[in-house]
Amino acid sequence: MNKAVESTEEAKAPSIEKPHETPEGWEPNILAFACHYCAFAAADLAGVMRLSYSPNVKIIRLPCTGKLDQIYVLRAFEKGIDGVFVAG
Amino acid sequence: MNDKISSPKKGSVVIVGGGIGGMQAALDLADSGFKVHLIQKDPSIGGTMVMLDKTFPTGDCSMCMISPKMVEVGRHINIDVHSLAEVASVEGQPGDFKIKVKLAPRYVYPEKCTGCGDCEIKCPKKIPNEFDQGIGKRKVIYSLFAQAVPNTRAIDARHCLYLTKGTCRLCEKACKAGAINYEDKERVIEINAGAVILSPGLDRYDATVRGELGLGRWKNVVTSLQFERILSASGPFKGEVKRPSDEKHPRKVAWIQCVGSRDSHNANPWCSSVCCMYATKQTIIAKEHDKNIEPTIFYMEMRAFGKDFDKYVERAKNEYGVRYQRAMISAVREEPETGNLMLRYADEAGKLIDESFDMVVLSIGLEPHKDAAKFAKTFGIETNPYLFAKTSPLCPVQTTRDGIFVTGTYQGPKDIPDTVMQGSAVAGEAMALLSEARGTETVHKELLPERDVENEKPRIGVFVCHCGTNIAATVNIDEVVAAAKQLPDVAYVTNTIYACAQDNQDMIKQVVKDNNLNRVIIASCTPRTHEPLFQETIRDAGLNKYLFDLADIREQCSWCHMGQKEEATKKAVKIVKMSVAKSRLQKPLKTDYVGVTPACMIIGGGIAGMTSSLSLADQGFDVHVVEMEKELGGLTRNLFRTLEGNDVQEFLKATIAKVQAHKRITIHTNTQVKKTEGFVGNFKTALSNDTLISHGAIIIATGGTEYAPAEYLSGESDKVITQRDLEKRIASGEKFNPRARFVMIQCVGSREEPNQYCSRVCCQDAVKNAIAIKEQNPGSQVIILYRDIRTYGLREDYYKKARDIGVMFVRYDVDKKPQVEKDGDKLKVRTWDYMLNKELMIDADWLVLSAGLRPHPTTEGTGKMYKVTRNQDGYFLEAHVKLRPVDFPTEGIFVCGLAHAPKNLDETITQSLAAAGRAGVILSHERLAVSGIIAKHKKELCMSCLGCFRVCPFDSPYIGEDGKVAHNEVKCMGCGICAAICPAKAFQVNNFRDDQILAMIDAASECESGVVGG
Repeated sequence: MNKAVESTEEAKAPSIEKPHETPEGWEPNILAFACHYCAFAAADLAGVMRLSYSPNVKIIRLPCTGKLDQIYVLRAFEKGIDGVFVAG
Repeated sequence: MNDKISSPKKGSVVIVGGGIGGMQAALDLADSGFKVHLIQKDPSIGGTMVMLDKTFPTGDCSMCMISPKMVEVGRHINIDVHSLAEVASVEGQPGDFKIKVKLAPRYVYPEKCTGCGDCEIKCPKKIPNEFDQGIGKRKVIYSLFAQAVPNTRAIDARHCLYLTKGTCRLCEKACKAGAINYEDKERVIEINAGAVILSPGLDRYDATVRGELGLGRWKNVVTSLQFERILSASGPFKGEVKRPSDEKHPRKVAWIQCVGSRDSHNANPWCSSVCCMYATKQTIIAKEHDKNIEPTIFYMEMRAFGKDFDKYVERAKNEYGVRYQRAMISAVREEPETGNLMLRYADEAGKLIDESFDMVVLSIGLEPHKDAAKFAKTFGIETNPYLFAKTSPLCPVQTTRDGIFVTGTYQGPKDIPDTVMQGSAVAGEAMALLSEARGTETVHKELLPERDVENEKPRIGVFVCHCGTNIAATVNIDEVVAAAKQLPDVAYVTNTIYACAQDNQDMIKQVVKDNNLNRVIIASCTPRTHEPLFQETIRDAGLNKYLFDLADIREQCSWCHMGQKEEATKKAVKIVKMSVAKSRLQKPLKTDYVGVTPACMIIGGGIAGMTSSLSLADQGFDVHVVEMEKELGGLTRNLFRTLEGNDVQEFLKATIAKVQAHKRITIHTNTQVKKTEGFVGNFKTALSNDTLISHGAIIIATGGTEYAPAEYLSGESDKVITQRDLEKRIASGEKFNPRARFVMIQCVGSREEPNQYCSRVCCQDAVKNAIAIKEQNPGSQVIILYRDIRTYGLREDYYKKARDIGVMFVRYDVDKKPQVEKDGDKLKVRTWDYMLNKELMIDADWLVLSAGLRPHPTTEGTGKMYKVTRNQDGYFLEAHVKLRPVDFPTEGIFVCGLAHAPKNLDETITQSLAAAGRAGVILSHERLAVSGIIAKHKKELCMSCLGCFRVCPFDSPYIGEDGKVAHNEVKCMGCGICAAICPAKAFQVNNFRDDQILAMIDAASECESGVVGG
């Protein structure tokens, strides 16, 4: 009895606590939501200054970060995006 | 004679200098029906502000604020920017000047250059970059900075190998647009204009003159502007705080104030007005960049006199641990081993201290340009002895030659908001001067009717730009073209070398027509600069401009992923996919218009309200001045002389007479506003005298009041008076005992909780009255007890004069305030003297209190009525502290005078002219266009939960007559906060609709390899 309880607990615990193993060389796919007036301008400047960052970052421009809807974040994760970056 | 001759006045204005002040004037004028010629001697507009990293007291990014304005100036159909240009001569009279302008050779065809920068990469010669204050390097063919406007490159002929030695021509080979022109010559053009505005900006004090401070000798001594470039993310160290000698991170950094200012020996006698605040800002930003930095500011007096400045200094002290040390630095020596710097100073107890720092920043002052004397001669204007343009405190933006106005630091040292205010003020003055010629020289673009594509299936055209080699060197354009062809609804794809070049724009128009396209995507550069250009192109092809989208594969792709050709190409394809996903769902948007009632209501009939009313009435608009008291004049009624000696009462009388006589001005005294409704262009106001007025704009000039002191035996002795009482007694000719002793106490009711702000006027009032007393009776004594004497700008002259004629200044600390007691008919004042380190006991015949200013009691009610916010101290809060100093976030409502913040008379007049200029911009339109990018409200989905109502910064949702939420699209700025908060999704922002954003997210997350995260 006791053992059975323990083993179910053991089986349950990792599925909640332990993150997925990431394969070697794996790079996260990141979606950035950027305010037109500041963070999007910063992305421009990064380009002008030839600052290098990972090509796995893609940017969606919003008129204001206040426009960010939780639906966008959920949809991104649902579709397999690994990280969402909101800047503004 | 013919009785119907047209006005001899010209409807155009020449503005000399394209810094922030000149740009503000240019935009205000061009937006209100005047043609503007902007003359700029550098290859780009922008002036000094573009060099700054951040601005005080909000810490906003300087470039982020000014760059959109520069783009707006550069693209404005009624502004011609003449760069590398200087005025050679000015002839004629107000309304009709002939101005000769010399255009220096650029060696690049502006109409061919796309600004791609391929030439710059190939240019073999590097020279010190003057924009980075000589810390970094630049090429000989260059643009001044990354966001330059115009973005056309220029060749620096002094250093060009071909132009000096006849060999090289590498830029010519690199330029695929054929824009290099080595044969370019100087040209002279003549412009006929109605008014001239001078905004040439400033030079900085050359601190190498003060050799003892070590600039140019010790590597780790830099100027404040060099430090600004060091802090800048686009500067030589990309925003990392490093010292020049070894590029190590400094820990102890010292700022030395007043370098080149407040010093008549080998420097300038005036106070530069901005250094205390910019040094404070630099310490804060440096700490934010690198928390290990320990900043110390060595200063004489902390002049934090502006709105919310004192709070900023308190924050620097308390939250950032900035050390403020009151001391003058006599010498800076380098320790040869370490490159550190040894500073010697006397502390407050008079003890000499040697302290070592890793780096030293010299807070250098502002001064007129080196060629200021010649400049003044060219324009035929007088200067003051320091070569600033000569103006009067009562006409602060007029030069000595009619029709020529001045703005910014050429009028006297000042910060950005004061410069912007003067920019709008000179615009207002020019509008008033040339009102009958408004609209005579401006052009309007005639547009073809739009093709109706509402019911068509999307047919998208995609143009993939090489941008010379900027994109093509990193992104495989052919692959992007091939991938785009596979996307749904894409009907046409091609590549182009430069999408923005004139010939390619014509090509795009033709392709749209030939292929019956109804959506266009350009895959090239950033929408922030190029979207309006391409929108215009497709509009010329008969498409609604909102059927356009820019896929940025340069700033966001090729430039950031150089040397990663495969990844960059994949990303470019993805960016185009996202853009197509959005474009498929684009809809043509209508731009609506609202009419404008060409009248203005001004609340407050003090000098601010009256000044605004006269300017607007002269511009040709009807004005209603609403004053709650029985007579006009406000606080100015208690002012008799300015610091400079002008007779204020005479000026006030003349102003009131002018206002009363003007046929366009209606005065409502003993009257208050009962109710206002409406929005920009269309306000309706009911007054307490039962008048109903319609007007297009509102100026709030409700003024302030003077603090009535309760401290220092006020009211208990008739020998305790305020500065204002004293001024009145002096003006009325009261004879004081010739040997009387006056003690003045500064900061009464200011700079202390709960009024933690500087009232800005009291130091000059004290100095003014002290000089008057000493001049009347040289035998009398005046002792001023002060915390910091804040005679900023050219007012410093009078502080010096007061000291020279024997006025005594004794500093006190807020923790050790003076004590006053009665002693028979006299008063005893006890105060701590920091020089002697002893308590002083002064017998005083008169105690004069410098009482501060307070917002007017009506401010709260007015704020509520118009839903405009106030700062912690109760003064109205402008839309933007730096660039919109007289606007409110709500369009069509403006603020000026003491209602905004404490200020001197000349500053109130300037701000009132600025408010009139800004209001004039709105009132000059017959109708106002409403942007297409706004939130749309679907009433049938709305549950009137009021979520939007609470969060909207612009008050565009309102409760309609049916008790439900309605939306005023005229007020909407399209930020979409309402759309995010709305639980029913009743709000959707045009072109940023949820379905469009979700389609982009889906496109971004689709993966080619089938592996999540691939």
